[in-house]
Amino acid sequence: MSASNCTSSSAGGGGGGGRGRVRSWSSTTSVSSSGKRIQKEMLEFGADPPSGCSAGPKGDNLYQWVSTIMGPQGSPYKGGVFFIEISIPTDYPFKPPKVVFKTRIYHCNVDPSGNISLGILKDGWSPALTIAKVLLAVRSVLTNPDTSCPVVSSIARLYLTDKAKHDEIAAEWTLRFAQ
Amino acid sequence: MANSASLPALSSSPNDLRKKKRANRSAKLKQCKLDARRDQWLSQVKNKGSNGESSPPIPSTRPTGPRKLDPPRDNATESLLGLQDSETERRIARKDDRPCSSSISSGCFSCSATEDEEEEDGDSTALDDWEAVADALIADHHHHPEEPKPSITAPVPTPAPPSVALKPPEPRAWRPDDAFRPSSLPNLSKQRSFDVGRGFRNGGHAVVSVSVPSSCPICYEDLDVTDTSFLPCSCGFRLCLFCHKRILEADGRCPGCRKPYGMILDGSPPVFLLSRSCSMNIR
Repeated sequence: MSASNCTSSSAGGGGGGGRGRVRSWSSTTSVSSSGKRIQKEMLEFGADPPSGCSAGPKGDNLYQWVSTIMGPQGSPYKGGVFFIEISIPTDYPFKPPKVVFKTRIYHCNVDPSGNISLGILKDGWSPALTIAKVLLAVRSVLTNPDTSCPVVSSIARLYLTDKAKHDEIAAEWTLRFAQ
Repeated sequence: MANSASLPALSSSPNDLRKKKRANRSAKLKQCKLDARRDQWLSQVKNKGSNGESSPPIPSTRPTGPRKLDPPRDNATESLLGLQDSETERRIARKDDRPCSSSISSGCFSCSATEDEEEEDGDSTALDDWEAVADALIADHHHHPEEPKPSITAPVPTPAPPSVALKPPEPRAWRPDDAFRPSSLPNLSKQRSFDVGRGFRNGGHAVVSVSVPSSCPICYEDLDVTDTSFLPCSCGFRLCLFCHKRILEADGRCPGCRKPYGMILDGSPPVFLLSRSCSMNIR
């Protein structure tokens, strides 16, 4: 599973292509159904937000969300506030949202442009997942990097060989960019 | 012939009062009936001759009691009758037994409607039983809604307890609506209980929805009956048919456990059925 994730994440175009194919036959009802789902999620998120996370639509566009994740305690990212943009496709529950870090972060699963490689956002996506669960998964990845499927292999290698050094750099980046 | 001569003489005085009564009630058809019946009775008395000599005077004496009293007060007269003669009680009991078999007319024999028949028919009731019942039916329709009395008067003739015991509960129970209600009353109560049951159902529905989601977890649309009975995956994850179809058309994995729904991934109706059967077999 990890290998396939790596290839798909590196390719990046596979998911987009699939989305395009879906969009070709998706009707207005599917759009409205995703709208209903997103609105429900927004309400649920506001009623019971996951710890250390906040999220909401950017402006009046339901399909563009802005989220913040507090750096989890016990990680080199603690004290940092990381901004994340979430792009929700029109066929959303059936296709995963696209999550991009807008705040720079030293993490082996986040590429320099902020794209995060996460299993549940690729092949591991399930329509039963929600934005809140995605954010919780992202936050847990900050605590436990997935070194088996890194986007920045040098960071993963450093994490495996010299975790103290890795944490030092990560904390430094957090201080510089996330506060 | 002496009997026939004496009878009209006896019944002549009550006739006037009876006419007044009838005028008050304005039941002209009934008058005709009663006249005819009296003729019948008289003729029967004639036919009886020596055998029936003892019987005719009794009915003739009976009516005189109530006729001296205020005739419209039927219940009072009846109660008086009941107290006066043991025979009248017997008659009441007899008449009560009959309507009990024909349950509809039961309530009316304590009412005014029967009074006429009791006055006139007396011991010849055997002749026009069904007529009495029919009259009682008609009278029942006329008088039933107005009269709260029968329940009161019924207990008065204590000597006939079985008939009394049978009588009062019926008019009381059937009073509210109509003489035809008795059969439908249980239904009404059933309906009410059904409504209550509905309320419980609605209340219970929320409870049920805890175990079975009331809305599709994918699209948040309400699950209808077919959706709620639709269990595509052995993991127990429920979703609506539309979302299931879309998932089948895409990657075809259960959102709950991420296991493939079926082996064939192309979305088409037969696959729909196959996927369901496959999901059953998957375990």
